[in-house]
Amino acid sequence: MSYLKFIFFILFLLASFSTHSHAVVTHNSLKLKPVPLNLASQVELSFNSKVELDLSEVFLVRSGDKMEVITATPGTKPGQVILSLPALPEGEYAIKLKIFAADGHLSEDLLRFFVRKTGQ
Amino acid sequence: MEGIANYLDSLIGGIDLTFYSIVVGGLIWGLLVLRPWQDGTHYNNTLLNNTVNLIHFGSKALTITQITQIGLKIWLMVATLGKSPFPAFFNTVQFQAGLLRASLAFVLAVFIRQFLKSNTRSKLYWQISTLIILPLVISGGWLVHGASRLEDREFLMTLTVTHQIAAAIWVGGIFQLLSIWRLKKHNSIAIELWPLLLKRFSLLGIAAVLILLATGTPLAWYNIASFKGLVGAGYGNLLMVKVIMMCLALGFAYLNRQAVNSYFENRSLYVLTTRVPYYIEVETLILLTILFTAASLASQPPAVDIPHLTASFEEVLNMFAPRMPRWESPTHEALIAGEAGRVAIVGQIPSEAATAWSDYNHNIAGIFLTTMSFFAMLSYFPRFSWAKYWPIGFMALGIFLFFRSDAESWPLGPLGFWESTFNNGEILQHRIATFLVFGLGLLEVRARINGHNQALPYAFPILAAFGGMMLLAHSHVGFEPKSAFLIQVGHTMMGVFSLILACGRWLELKLDSPGKNVAGFISVFALFQIGVILMFYREPLY
Repeated sequence: MSYLKFIFFILFLLASFSTHSHAVVTHNSLKLKPVPLNLASQVELSFNSKVELDLSEVFLVRSGDKMEVITATPGTKPGQVILSLPALPEGEYAIKLKIFAADGHLSEDLLRFFVRKTGQ
Repeated sequence: MEGIANYLDSLIGGIDLTFYSIVVGGLIWGLLVLRPWQDGTHYNNTLLNNTVNLIHFGSKALTITQITQIGLKIWLMVATLGKSPFPAFFNTVQFQAGLLRASLAFVLAVFIRQFLKSNTRSKLYWQISTLIILPLVISGGWLVHGASRLEDREFLMTLTVTHQIAAAIWVGGIFQLLSIWRLKKHNSIAIELWPLLLKRFSLLGIAAVLILLATGTPLAWYNIASFKGLVGAGYGNLLMVKVIMMCLALGFAYLNRQAVNSYFENRSLYVLTTRVPYYIEVETLILLTILFTAASLASQPPAVDIPHLTASFEEVLNMFAPRMPRWESPTHEALIAGEAGRVAIVGQIPSEAATAWSDYNHNIAGIFLTTMSFFAMLSYFPRFSWAKYWPIGFMALGIFLFFRSDAESWPLGPLGFWESTFNNGEILQHRIATFLVFGLGLLEVRARINGHNQALPYAFPILAAFGGMMLLAHSHVGFEPKSAFLIQVGHTMMGVFSLILACGRWLELKLDSPGKNVAGFISVFALFQIGVILMFYREPLY
């Protein structure tokens, strides 16, 4: 039975489990307060768990999936994070998050949004 | 290497829980079931050494696993963030609690080696060992889901740690029973010990199940809070899988208890030696799957946090609705043409060709499996003995999947084999699944040709069980949680049936009649069910 034990061991190592995110954004200000056209602005995010911002990264994604790192700072409430966006022209964008939750799960999230002229 | 780092990081949680159970459950077994310091016990040194050795092995393995877990976390952060996580990582609770846990497991390993191994009948040393694991168990509270919650943190951490202890009692005890059965088979222990220890553990097992329910119910309620959350989110779905598997494990535990009660009435060892050990083997397989599912559950966002991303009951039901299988595949060119839009972050365009390609793959795989289950049923009739080679179908399915699973990579697509395998967790899982399916067929066909090989037939249920584990974990990582969940829900059901297929086949090989026939039928029926789910599979378009 020794080779069966070997198979068992190898398979034990191979049995993988899903890597869906644990830290998720439960509220964001993008829905209530659209990003203004050609003006620097801030976006507020609320997470469902504590996050380690020093070990996390946030990107602004422009058309063509060009990514740039943006600053993320802790908000006043637990789990709240403030993102600083540069002035953005009209178009579609996304915020890509790589977040390290306090329970050790590194998860990714994506928030898509549009910058439009007021009234559009 | 991000894919493989992510993959290993998600895997290590289940391994950690397994070794934790061997240690914690093993010590509680020693204190409450074995009680080797009492007079009048018939324990010989072989039994006691075996028990302590298992716990010692568990503590060493837990130390290594815990350190590996920290190492993997660092690797994952380097791979994902593209920069060093130091010194910030040193300040995280993860690092500090993980290191403390590893240190305590190491202290326990040293203590067992130096003292308990040479004084296996000493109550004092068993108690000191248990005292050492107390801070180890408590430190685990900072490594669970609840530790990062913003509200009710202490309450959730306490419930989870208690839940883990109860699970460890059950799983650790089962590992000890398997070890004792091995000694009994080799006539290394007194014959009456087997029923005696089974009986004693049975009571402890019931207590463990009650604690599991008492702690699991409020945890589930807190994290799910609605029927929609239970059926329409990954967290609720995996919890239901856990409940189904626990019911299966409890079924076997019930059969064992009945057998023990029967022994103490009529003193016949027949059932206790010809069925119970195999029920325990299957129970172990199910419990291990539960531990890995529990580890997976801890990485899911609680359903209560994502009501806007939760699927409705009707949407879930629709995933299983009967429909005509897709017979025609889009061309590879059409698939590749839609890939750039499908994977784009900004300006994403759903690809109908990609969805149709995936539907075709799943539906054809379903036809393979239902046809195989039909031949498997036929093979039970002597006239159709040639049908016993039905597992050839798995080899054909493996080849089909190799070409079709990830069409964007080698051999059909532009991405290289190694590059795609190690940089994408999903492709890595597909590759492993393909290898498993092919290996499953190859080994089982060889076993059927070479009927005298005693060990080879067991490769099939082992591979099927791990295939099931992979299905339970099948990850479509992306940024569309609702669509990803709707894909996941079909895969988790297939995972449950794969486990049933494996357990049924294992018992078919081990039991005598009529049990083996019942188990064999259940096994083939489970294969048929997987085929049906795959035949009706439709991937949500996103």
